[in-house]
Amino acid sequence: MNVMNFVYGFIVLVCVFIFQTTLTGLNRKVTARLQKRYGARWYQQFLDIFKALRKDSTSHGWVFDFGVIMALGGIMATVIFIPVAGFQAFPGLDNVFVISYLLAVGMLGMAMSAAGSGNPWASIGVARALTNMLAYDVPLMIVIFTMIFAFDSSSLSEISAMQQGMGILGWNAIRMPLGGIVAIIALLGMLGKKPFDSFIAPAEIASGPMVEYGGKHLGFMFILHEFMTFIEVSIILALFFGGGATIWEYLLKYAILYTFTNIISGVMPRFKIDQAVKYFFKLPLAMAIIQGLVVIFTGLGVTLWF
Amino acid sequence: MNKIINEIKIALEPLKIETPALRQIAVVVKPDAIHNSLAYFRQKGFTQLSIVTCIDWIKESELELVYIVLSWTEGIYIQLRARIDREKPVMVTATDIFPGARYYEREVHEFFGVDFLGNEDAAKPLFLELWDDIPPLRKDFDPQAYSDSKFPMRERGNEFVSEFGGNK
Amino acid sequence: MVLDKKDDRNVWEKIGDYFSANSIWMKWYCTGCGAIEMPPTMTSRFDMERLGMGPMATPRQADVLLITGYLSTKTLRRVIYSYEQMNSPRFIVAFGSCTINGGIYYDSYATIGRLDKYLPVDLYISGCMPRPETIMNGFSGLIEMIKKGEAKGWKHYQENYEWYKKNQLDSLGKIIIEDEFHE
Repeated sequence: MNVMNFVYGFIVLVCVFIFQTTLTGLNRKVTARLQKRYGARWYQQFLDIFKALRKDSTSHGWVFDFGVIMALGGIMATVIFIPVAGFQAFPGLDNVFVISYLLAVGMLGMAMSAAGSGNPWASIGVARALTNMLAYDVPLMIVIFTMIFAFDSSSLSEISAMQQGMGILGWNAIRMPLGGIVAIIALLGMLGKKPFDSFIAPAEIASGPMVEYGGKHLGFMFILHEFMTFIEVSIILALFFGGGATIWEYLLKYAILYTFTNIISGVMPRFKIDQAVKYFFKLPLAMAIIQGLVVIFTGLGVTLWF
Repeated sequence: MNKIINEIKIALEPLKIETPALRQIAVVVKPDAIHNSLAYFRQKGFTQLSIVTCIDWIKESELELVYIVLSWTEGIYIQLRARIDREKPVMVTATDIFPGARYYEREVHEFFGVDFLGNEDAAKPLFLELWDDIPPLRKDFDPQAYSDSKFPMRERGNEFVSEFGGNK
Repeated sequence: MVLDKKDDRNVWEKIGDYFSANSIWMKWYCTGCGAIEMPPTMTSRFDMERLGMGPMATPRQADVLLITGYLSTKTLRRVIYSYEQMNSPRFIVAFGSCTINGGIYYDSYATIGRLDKYLPVDLYISGCMPRPETIMNGFSGLIEMIKKGEAKGWKHYQENYEWYKKNQLDSLGKIIIEDEFHE
């Protein structure tokens, strides 16, 4: 590990920020077209973030401020480890477990600053966010453990390398179809999109953990949201949809996957938090367990006969 | 409906009874008979108290309290009215018969100044905060004067120049 | 309504005003009867998101406070301490004739006559109620004002705080009320 790794990491951060923010802006247009209206400009998300960074902010003590910085720092550290089309800033450190572990730092930072603000809406939002995490993690982890068992490796770049070279039939979403469906549903839960966005509910709990954020804290939260989206979609992309052999293939697949989840969530209402938990523990859990049993006893789900 | 009117005439002996519209009966009684009348109506099946309100007869120096009760089984509204004195308006509370009258009596107290004996909530403000004048829905209250004294208006300059001479 | 046309911003403030103008978040709180004109402006027919505006849930996250219609004294107390919770730079847009000179409730004992004695208003949109086309026109005007640096209501409030407070206390008596509904 030398200085060049950190430089590569910094370049990855900047490029990821620009790409993801543009994609979010384009998806606002997609959602708007679903609702039969023109949407915002494609660079609207940049304007929102810079406007939020320029306002004055109110602070509630150093716990409040430090929680935001800890969350953003943890998430930026996680982004550096994600392999993008075979290129890794820190080679050999892109284990699924490392990334899942570091994702929790973001959630914990937000929880800490919400507790430091003293607003009861924030505590309700954080409790719902952690319950949400409990709900979607269980089926997703069962499918990921099944995949690690089948492939004998838990590194993102190795699993995505093993799916390439056979065209679309090599993707894990096709070879383990039930696992692929569970992954997309869990991705909706991870991103906090409808129907699983009750922890940010704006009219219900006044946007949950972000209720006391104004100005610069809110700007940091938006940047954090962009990075977290990138991490979660990249994990699912690398594990189930074959990563990308070249950078353009990776970016195209990423854009299609993210737009697909956005279109699904654009037509759905919002679940209550207990409905979301009950839902995840019924059908996705059953599918994940069946997939696991199929893979353990018969090899990979769909075998290729040519 | 005539059966109900006859029953009311026998039981309550009202001062006046009339039917202003289809399915509506208006009954005027003395103020000390209000409590018994409400208990009688509740027991006869008129279980919903729709409103408690007040009318200010300033020339006769009287306040008229109006109670409207509704029966779900027969679909008939009964309007119970009684006149009380305007200088010291006092009435027994209806909350032991209809518990929902609590907030209506509070509103009538705040806007007309009627004291309800037995309803200890009635003196607390409900709609108007920090009110410092006579009860506002009485007819001797001048809202224009109050509004001009408390909330300053925008000064109006010359609005137009008439060609027949003089500015407005 | 422009309080002061002098432009004394430095370069960073000019760039910041460009960002502020193109992405205004309104506080999702509409007083009075004019609130009925906000949903048509926000939804598909007269889309407000084209201008970059969208609703946000809390005063800390919002930029603009819309006073849509008449303000009774009760609401004015809550609006005042809601406005003071917003982060600067913050703007107020007042809809309807009730904020200009009392409207049809000019002689009521419970509604105020003139909003800009209590809070600094940047833009008035006249009408009773203004239609969504008028509201979009007004918002475009607000965007132009912010880009040119003319929307300085929040600075006026900070500099003339005693004058505003005196007017508020003269008309209202107290701003923060303790009663059984608010401990």
